[in-house]
Order: sequence, then structure tokens, then C-alpha cells
Amino acid sequence: MLDFFENISLLSSNIPALSSLRQKGKAAFKGLPSLKDEPYKYTNIQSVITPQMFSQKPHACNHEHCTCHEQYLDFSAHEFHFCNGLLHEHFHFIEGLEISSLKEALSMHEAAAYIGKFDIEAFPLAALNTALLEEGLFIRISKPLDKPLALIYHNKEGNLANIRNLIVLEKGAKAEIIEVFEGANTPYLTNIVTEISIAKKASLLHCKLQNEGQNAVHIAFSNVLIKSEGEYQSYLLSKGAKLSRCENHVLLKEENAKAVVNAAYRINDAQTADITTNIAHLAPLSTSNQIIRGVMDDSAHGVFQGKIHIAPDAQKTEGHQQHKALLLSSNARVDVKPELEIFADDVKCSHGATSGDLNAEELFYLKSRGIDELQARKILTSAFLNTAFEEIENQNIKAFLTDSF
Amino acid sequence: MNGKKRMTNNVLLDIQNLSAGVTGKEIIKNFNLAIKEGEVHVIMGPNGAGKSTLSHVLTGKPGYNVTKGNISFKGKNLLKMSPEDRANEGLFLIMQYPVAIEGVSFMTFLKYALNAKRKYLGEPELSAPEFLKVVRDETSKLGISQEMLKRAVNVGFSGGEKKRMETLQMALLKPNLAILDEADSGLDIDALKVVASGINELRDGKRALLIITHHQDLLEYIVPDFVHVFADGHIIKTGDKNLALELEAKGYTDFIKEAQC
Repeated sequence: MLDFFENISLLSSNIPALSSLRQKGKAAFKGLPSLKDEPYKYTNIQSVITPQMFSQKPHACNHEHCTCHEQYLDFSAHEFHFCNGLLHEHFHFIEGLEISSLKEALSMHEAAAYIGKFDIEAFPLAALNTALLEEGLFIRISKPLDKPLALIYHNKEGNLANIRNLIVLEKGAKAEIIEVFEGANTPYLTNIVTEISIAKKASLLHCKLQNEGQNAVHIAFSNVLIKSEGEYQSYLLSKGAKLSRCENHVLLKEENAKAVVNAAYRINDAQTADITTNIAHLAPLSTSNQIIRGVMDDSAHGVFQGKIHIAPDAQKTEGHQQHKALLLSSNARVDVKPELEIFADDVKCSHGATSGDLNAEELFYLKSRGIDELQARKILTSAFLNTAFEEIENQNIKAFLTDSF
Repeated sequence: MNGKKRMTNNVLLDIQNLSAGVTGKEIIKNFNLAIKEGEVHVIMGPNGAGKSTLSHVLTGKPGYNVTKGNISFKGKNLLKMSPEDRANEGLFLIMQYPVAIEGVSFMTFLKYALNAKRKYLGEPELSAPEFLKVVRDETSKLGISQEMLKRAVNVGFSGGEKKRMETLQMALLKPNLAILDEADSGLDIDALKVVASGINELRDGKRALLIITHHQDLLEYIVPDFVHVFADGHIIKTGDKNLALELEAKGYTDFIKEAQC
């Protein structure tokens, strides 16, 4: 096992930027993190990622006739599909949008300014993602778009999906992106890194449904840079995969930058869902808000690690965080680690965490009106999760997420 | 209510020798009460006498134990039924303190409740337009705005608003027996009138009503057939509407003393 990860053989490429990134990734990757590594102390990544997950299976889908091309969402969106870890390239002209494969963007020198904008040494899986860099999208938005972009990741054959996406919003641009992950029941790994850059007065609504196959491992790392008056809203629903870790690092780099980083997870059986956030307020008057809701049944295991960092210069900032968990079984458990790191004095910060079962009075009230136990529990569970998604303005996307509980 | 009509009506609720309470404490002792279709019964008693325990036992609230006796509702053994089946059979409790539920709109809640009953009765679920029409008809009668229906169940509602919404649920679910547990406590006259008119609207000679209260405000708007005085876990005296007035005039302490002599 260890040998396998120590001897990653790099694919060769005639794109110099790509080769050099892979080299950097390989050098930075020192093996999979273990429970002894502080950021991974609750989530045993090492135990679920196997060398077999990296053996490339023959790609059986004929891209031209792949069913993955079919419209996936029941509302209008510009859809782009990944099939078994590979990008299906079907790009057409969309006003205000530049979209290409990552490789093409790297060869045209477009993407270099936006890739690797974080310390990959600190993120082993992101380093691994960089060493294996091949698939991904470069998305640059210059104007408000007419409809949402949808990135759909199908993985019917359970192949390795090592994906790197770059999303760039130029000054004043506005976009809505929804990502959906789903796949086979065989064990496979999705290891996705997303780097997002939001320019002055630009805003991005970024929604995601993680609904991978039941034996899959889903590792996602996002690094988001926000400039002055820029706005980032992230809404994640994590419900699939045997183990998932969705890590979101948001840097509020300039004044009046704003971020909403909400998430809900709904897991059962022996699933693990890890939500890790790190919100760095680096400039004055920046605000962030996090509402996280988790529902665990059976012997499921939830993890929430949320850090709010406020730099010495970041006066008059506001950072709030709230995690609530519903444990529907006595075997379910949740580990919560909130962290506030405040170096400025004129700030408003809060964090809170609770866990418990469904409220018996509420349950009885519904039953006393004829609603059966199962339905009543469902209604209350959905209402609980719903809190994380209440503020989504796009009703289609909101309904898509809340209907997926 | 004339005697002839009453004779043809069936017994809806029959409580026999009921003893019940919470663990380690018997609150209801040897309680007997029969309610026929179309009748309005009032149970009056001082605060803390355990009147609410009766409504909790009837609706099947967890935490209350029956140690003795039987309750039949529409000829069925009520004590063997789940709270939801009791509701769908036609038992409805207007709660003293309706629960607030974050994240569930009243509209959604009403739709689930209404369709649960239809499903129980083997009827098809209402379509969205059908449901909206039924709700609109009832809300306009009760002076409830559509805005209120969009809000989360009882969240931030005043006491009066909550009771209005309880009345709306009752109007929609059309129970055979409605129980009002201190429905009049903390209500202003306007809200009291709404609740009373909602109740009177339901009276069709078949539906019955059990009002549990400690004062007689509501009885100015709803005329009861029977008034029972509740003390020491059971009914100590039964009379007509004049008994409520007598009770009000004497006060509970003196009245109960007299009755027990």
C-alpha cells in the first residue's frame, strides 16, 4: 500500500505547464493522511482508499453515444458532463462564458494564473490530485449568465475521477453553478479539487449534490479567493459515498467580501460524511456565515470541522458558524471541532453546536393530526436539513437539493 | 337538542372505569363518561386537577399510562390505536399549547394531515388545486390570511393566532369528536369568537364536542348539553349549562366541598 503511493508514475505530457504541475504534486505528496494527522483525526481516509482505485479500467463508454449526454436536470441549465472520470467535451457558445478542458487552457497559458493558488503541501489529497492531473474544466465568466451551469459527474463504471476545475469570475460577473456526483456501487474514488477566483463585485452561487455510489470515496477540496465586494455562496448536500470529505477553504481577501458556506449531510448505515471549512477573513468589513445540519442514522458518522480565522487587519468583520446534528440512532455519532482564531478586536464572531434526537413534542403534534410515524419523522428531518438551504434564491436549484434529502 | 333525536344517536366515546396517570402517579381515578353523537360536554375543574391528563390519554400522548379501564371510540378500542389512527378515526384535540415547528410551513403541514386522513379512509389524495380550494374556503371563514399559511407551523404566532390555526385544522379534518383542552385560556374576545364559530360551524347533529376548561368564557358562545365537575380524578357532579354558572358563582373550593359532603 505504502509502496504504491510512494511510487506514483507520472503521465508524460507535451504541455510543459501540465508536466511541471504534476512534478510539483508528486513532490508535495507524502502519502495518505492518517488519524494521527490533526486535520484528519476523525476521518480515516487511509483505511478506505486502496491502490485498486487508481488502476485505470478500460473506458467502455463510447463518448458519442453515451447516455451521459442526456439532459440530467429537470430545469434549464447549461450542462457539462463527466463520464467515469473523463470530460465529455461538448462546448458551444454561451454569451459571457469561456469554457474549455483544463489541458487546453494550460496549453494556451490561460489557466496558469489560477491553478495551484494554495499550499498543496498542506493538503495531501490535493497534492495527489495535482500529481495525477489530467481531467478538468477551465471556466471563465465575464458577464452575468442567462442560466445556471451544471457539472454532472456520472461514474457508472466506478473509475477513478481525478478532476481539477478552475472557475474564474471576472469583475461584475454573476453565475450559478450546480454540481452533481453520482456513480456505481463498486468502490471507486473521486478526488476533485476546485479553485475559484471571484473578482471585484462578482458573485457566484455554487451548489453541490454529493450522491456517489455506496462504496465510493469522495474527496473534494475547494479553494476560493474573493476580492472586494465579491460574493460566494456555497450550498452542499452530502448524502452518498461510503466516506466523503468536502473541504472548503474560503479567503476573503479584500474589503466587503462576503461568503455563505452552508452544508447539510444525510447519512446512514456505516457512512462517514466529513465537512471541513476554513474561512479566512483577511480584510476589513468582510462577512461569512455557515449553517451546517447533519442527520445520521444507523451507525453513520458525521464530522464537522469549522475554522474561522480573522487576521489582525480584518476589523469590523463578522463570522458566524452553527452546526446542528440529529442522531436518529444510538449507534450514530458525530465529531465536531469548531475553531475561532481571532487576531482583530473589532469583530463579531459566533459559533454553536448542538446534537440530539427529533423533538418528541413536534413528533406527537404531527401524529395527533393523523400523520404516521415514518412520514412525521421524514417531515421533521427534511425541515431540519432545510435550514441550510433556505436562503438559496434560485428556486429550481433549491428544490433540486431539498428534493434530494 | 331534543330527547327524541338523542335516542337515535349512537355512543361515540365511552370511557369506563378509567384510571391513568404518569409513572408513579395516578391522576385519573375511576373515571366514567359517555358522549353520544351530536352532544356537547364540558368538563370543568380547578387548575392542576388533572383535566389535561384526560385529553393526553385520549389522544395517546407518550408518557401517560392507563392502569385500569376501557375507552371505546366509534365502537373500537381506542387504547389499542396509535395517535395517528385515533386522529384519522375522527378524534381531534385543540391543544392548550400547540407546538411550533421550524422549517415546515403550515400549508405543507395541512396537506400532509389532510392527505393522511384521506389515505386512511381509502380516498385518493387531493390534487394541489383541490387542496388549495378547500383551504381557501376555510381560511376565509376564519379570517386567516394566506400569508399565515406560508409561515412555519406556529413559529412566532400569538396565542390567538395559534388557536385560529388549530380551529382551521379542525375545520379541515372534520373530526367526529373534537376535544378542546383549555382552548379559551389566554384568548382575547375576538380569538375566542373565532374558535367558537369554528366549533359551531362543525355542529351538524352528529359531531360531538368535549370542552375541558376551568372557566366558562367559551360557554357564552357554545351552549353545552352537559356540564361535568371534575375533582379528585373523576366527575363528582353532572348537570346542564346552569351548573357552569353555579360553579362560577360559588368558586371551585366551596363547590367541591359542598358536593363531597
